[in-house]
Amino acid sequence: MKKLSSRILGLLLALVMMTAGMSLATAETAESYPDIEYWFTNEGFLPVEIGGAYYNLTKETIGVGVYMPYVDWNGGQTYREQLALRVAANDTPDIFIYNNGIENGLILDGAALDLTDYLPEYMPHVWESVPASVWETVRANDPTGQGRIWTIPDVTTFTRHGAYIRTDWLDAVGMKMPATQEEFVEVLRAFKEKDPNGNGAADEIPAGGRAEARWMDYLFAMYGIAMYEGYPEWDVYNGEITYSAVTPNMKDALAFVSGLYREGLLDPETLLNSGADWSGKFDSNTVGVYYHIPWVAYQRLQGIYDYTAGAVKAQVANLPQISAEGYEGFITVKPTGNSGKMVSADVAKDEQLMKAAFRVLDCQYNMEYRDLEYGVEGMHYEVVDGKKVKLPEDKATQELLILQTPGCQVENVDVITSRLEAVRTEENSWQIDESIALLNGNQADGRVIAADGMPSTVYDGYEDIQNRTLYVEYISKIITGEYDLDKFDEFVDRWYKNGGEAVTERVRAWYAGKQ
Amino acid sequence: MSARNHIRESAGDHAFNLAVLIFLILFGVVMAVPMIAELAVSLSSKIASQTGTIGLVPVGFTFASWEFMLRNAGLWRSLGISAASTALVVVISLLINAMMAYPLSKRNFAPVKVLMLVVVFTMIFKAPTIPYFLTLRGYGLYNSFWAMVVPQVISAYNLLVMRSFFQSFPAEIEEAAEIDGCGKFRMFFRIVLPSSKAVIATVGLFYGVGAWNQYATPLMMIQDTALFPLQLKIHQLVNAASGDIAAAVKVSTANYTNDTLGAAAVIFSMVPVLLIYPFVQKYFAKGAMLGSVKG
Repeated sequence: MKKLSSRILGLLLALVMMTAGMSLATAETAESYPDIEYWFTNEGFLPVEIGGAYYNLTKETIGVGVYMPYVDWNGGQTYREQLALRVAANDTPDIFIYNNGIENGLILDGAALDLTDYLPEYMPHVWESVPASVWETVRANDPTGQGRIWTIPDVTTFTRHGAYIRTDWLDAVGMKMPATQEEFVEVLRAFKEKDPNGNGAADEIPAGGRAEARWMDYLFAMYGIAMYEGYPEWDVYNGEITYSAVTPNMKDALAFVSGLYREGLLDPETLLNSGADWSGKFDSNTVGVYYHIPWVAYQRLQGIYDYTAGAVKAQVANLPQISAEGYEGFITVKPTGNSGKMVSADVAKDEQLMKAAFRVLDCQYNMEYRDLEYGVEGMHYEVVDGKKVKLPEDKATQELLILQTPGCQVENVDVITSRLEAVRTEENSWQIDESIALLNGNQADGRVIAADGMPSTVYDGYEDIQNRTLYVEYISKIITGEYDLDKFDEFVDRWYKNGGEAVTERVRAWYAGKQ
Repeated sequence: MSARNHIRESAGDHAFNLAVLIFLILFGVVMAVPMIAELAVSLSSKIASQTGTIGLVPVGFTFASWEFMLRNAGLWRSLGISAASTALVVVISLLINAMMAYPLSKRNFAPVKVLMLVVVFTMIFKAPTIPYFLTLRGYGLYNSFWAMVVPQVISAYNLLVMRSFFQSFPAEIEEAAEIDGCGKFRMFFRIVLPSSKAVIATVGLFYGVGAWNQYATPLMMIQDTALFPLQLKIHQLVNAASGDIAAAVKVSTANYTNDTLGAAAVIFSMVPVLLIYPFVQKYFAKGAMLGSVKG
């Protein structure tokens, strides 16, 4: 009896030793990397903890465990504050995203790793995915003036924005797609007067936008104005890079926009709408033309569908790029994002840690790992008929998808299309079709502006210019008719005197250096 | 009824009282309207919230938001953490506060001037964020429950309120006790404290509300969601509203929005304070006047 038990014990011991040896052996063949703390935008999802589901997924898929504590995004503000605290405590996260110009301070303080020499060797997918022109911009923006690469910017290589119009409304009022400015105004009038939503009430809002004259860029774009989500941009006018808001184009655009407003063709609450107000109006089946990111239109179409209890499957199409007389209209495109990723300078103290950080970044740009975008099975997606389908977003149960490969690294039509396909279900299939059509429909209308990649440091000391304080005041009052159009000249004068001149000088110097 | 009044109300007094009454009613309405509006939002449907049609009455009545909230285990956990830290703050603060305020109220205690200078100094000069963070982190309070207790323990303002109260405490009583052979500690715990319920309740309420509502320090010190106090948790829920330019793809079949959830969360966090307040209020009305008249 005693003999038997000791034999069993011996056998067990041998087994344990064998498995231990095996696991040691596997660890040696595949390179083992330390974990990477990676700070990303989190708008309410569960944190990614070491040993948790998403951590395990990254560890299995790319060999590096990625984690992130809960850091509230809060429009980027809380995130930046929290990051500053960790940097101050000499405990910078290994990889982190930057935005709003914080990158320059971090670089100058020595918190960031110089990536220039590592990119081609350790991050070839990053190096090749980001267009060379963008790398040039990044080098030109190096705050140390040495032309080094400290940041990997988010890149958008397609026309992201655009206006779309309710084609079912066009049919209802018996009109064709407008191609000129006159036709466009006629369509708006018909939308207002002919009850295209057919509910018997004159509740239609032909067009509109949001507070601070934002998200109605297409009305300004007809006059060749560079504008990004309501922010006037810098582009070449009369042979020199200039703030689009102080050009004669803007004065003409304002004459047009304020005319629409006075005629009641724009939402009377245009200058008061929040994002939710304005999308809510569209969702309640009352808006004819909507300017946004066209490929997310399926959310709006679902909104109308819900609001009308399934009665309206709204039809939309791209509003063609219309040019005002004497101008050439275009949609502003900025490939080089003002946000992106950086690596902590501290990772250089540990070679394996540095390699791990590089590997994580490289995998994010490697299409081989694009399925990481789906997340964890059962948490973020389920398999239906052998195809992965994303589950509805649920912040109470889903961990943050830190590595959204490769979607938010380099955005292009293909990436967006695959993202849309990932959420296609039987019920929303018609919406996804419309979104894909919108995405492809206006690619030719975009143009990269001269100020692409311009660092926000040109505004240092002139926050009022950056925040568009004067601009918003004058533009709002001119649109509503409180000010005459002639007040525009006063605005231009005051803008230049209150810092505009100095900022313009800096921008022109930066642009000369970029070229 | 009016015959019972010894002093008859003149017409002027009557008008004044009426005006006060009307003012207070209006004031109460102004206070109540936002709460009622929030309650209405929390009980409304997703579509109503997105289209902004909710006033003071729920539109598309549903408990979806409340169901989501109350099923959120993290919220209950946060409630427990807030309750525990608040209770600890109140008990520890009151003890330390009273023990410091009492000697500081004695003029014959030699270091009073220096100590008071140090106390008042902290009222005027606040530590900048980063040194404050580094100091607390150095104490090992990063991602620690005690980060919600230790920094809250003493506030100069509350200390001064208590000190003023003790200054007006009748010296005769203390002298009488001393003659009867009462020591300093016995005097403090047996004579002074039992007669100071009003100031204890008032200052306790200050500390309690402060600890319950604390946000900035936990935001700075706590990243572990398991340790989130209620206010941070609520902020997480309310702030979860993704901007429409967010790249994240979202589809949701739930009948709530971040607005309705936020409204439910706000109401949820107010309830405990609303429940406790009436019990402390009687001391509070008395206590707020304490120390305002000094001998």
